[in-house]
Amino acid sequence: MTFHLKHLRKEFAGDGAPRVVLDGIDLDIAGGEFVAIVGRSGCGKSTLLRLLAGLDTEYTGVLLHEGAPVRGTDLRRGVVFQDARLFPWLTLADNVDLALAGGTLSARERRALIEERLAGFGLRDYIDAYPKAISGGMAQRVAFARALVNRPSVLLLDEPFSALDALTRGRLQQELLALWRREGLTVVIVTHDIEEAVLLADRVIVLDQHPGCVKRIQRIDLPRPRRRGDPAFGAAHDSLLAEFDNPEAEPADMLAA
Amino acid sequence: MSRRWKGALLPLLLLAAWQWESQRGAVYAALFPSLQQIGAAALELWRSEELQGAIEASLARACIGLVIGGAAGIAGGLLMALSRPVDSLLGPIVHALRQVPLFAWIPLIGVWLGSGEASRLFVVELSAFFPCLLNAYEGVANVDRRYLEVAQVLRLPLATRVRRLALPAALPGILTGLSHAVALAWIAAVASELLFASGPGLGNSMLMAEAGARMDVVLLCTAVIGLLGHAMNSITARLGQRLLRWRDVENGS
Repeated sequence: MTFHLKHLRKEFAGDGAPRVVLDGIDLDIAGGEFVAIVGRSGCGKSTLLRLLAGLDTEYTGVLLHEGAPVRGTDLRRGVVFQDARLFPWLTLADNVDLALAGGTLSARERRALIEERLAGFGLRDYIDAYPKAISGGMAQRVAFARALVNRPSVLLLDEPFSALDALTRGRLQQELLALWRREGLTVVIVTHDIEEAVLLADRVIVLDQHPGCVKRIQRIDLPRPRRRGDPAFGAAHDSLLAEFDNPEAEPADMLAA
Repeated sequence: MSRRWKGALLPLLLLAAWQWESQRGAVYAALFPSLQQIGAAALELWRSEELQGAIEASLARACIGLVIGGAAGIAGGLLMALSRPVDSLLGPIVHALRQVPLFAWIPLIGVWLGSGEASRLFVVELSAFFPCLLNAYEGVANVDRRYLEVAQVLRLPLATRVRRLALPAALPGILTGLSHAVALAWIAAVASELLFASGPGLGNSMLMAEAGARMDVVLLCTAVIGLLGHAMNSITARLGQRLLRWRDVENGS
């Protein structure tokens, strides 16, 4: 099992009573699996991803990655955030090079690896450009290159496409699927976009809120490539969307697909 | 271009008023030496190489003090921001000491270091030290939390974290501190010559001219001090623009 979560609980201390964000999360994620976590804003889905990444290590319960408790970040787990978070004072090549700073490769080997990675994302002509000079979609590609250059076995994605325009988003979703298949990655993506979840994932985890817990786990058995117009796609989408149809619902940001 | 002309308008008017005032009679001429007199004084001091000597001495004092005080300030600020133990050790005393105005140090400095070059340099160093320290500290301490998370995810070694994250992120702050330090160091260099008067320097030349009732030389020195300070500030601003070019690249999308 790549990830094993049991009774996972996370609370934030505040003034007065601590706020429970996640409670009783039980979840297993197999190697090579593509899992999407969906839920309303504020349901703790990003918090869950940060726990998986090791960015937040204050939790109770069990959180194992390949059998060992997660106690901090690890190069076996690549992370891409909603914003690309490139350092604006470094060229694209140097931004990717950051990921190799702790390694043992020579400068020349690193450069070759970086060129190969960036070329793979269609950024060959921008290797020595600064982040300010490129578009949001390109910046996010660099963020993927940076996350992948160390060949992690797990890729953790926190709404990686939600800041992009529809066209770019669609293209990057396809690139992600190709990457996942080619490199045998385990992917966990957090999204508020049900359509994106159904399009990409093997399994969709629906999180409830207050406190965040697993409400439903939906296996998506549709063959790939999946088509949004396909009736089976629509059925899976609608059945998941129904999870969010309750009277207390805020005007659904879930529909923002 | 038209902006530049507008900026020059007021100084030109002032010079004209000055010139007019100096022509009104002997009493005024002593207090308001005419532009010709000041020009003649400049020529005289230039020929005797007194002016060059004074400029050189003052500039050297400002630069040496700036380099020593500024470097110490930047190093101290970075260390405090990067290391919590250093911060808790030095923080309180630094923040207490920086409340003491520069000129309140003068009596102590005079007693400890005498009234020679050591004291003058120390005043300049002190003036450059605090703005550099505070701004370098703020620059590092305010690094975007999102970038720190990237550093955490990529497990950047400490050296890389300092060189590729903390320093460049703090650079705008460091440069702000440095530009304040340049202005203050120049003021302090001239002031230190007025306070510990001995040896060459523009401040000293002014004092001697005052004693000798040479208003033309006093005014000449004032003008030179102003112009040099202005020049130093614009050089610092240019340097800052060059170093922060990554902020101003045009968005190609």
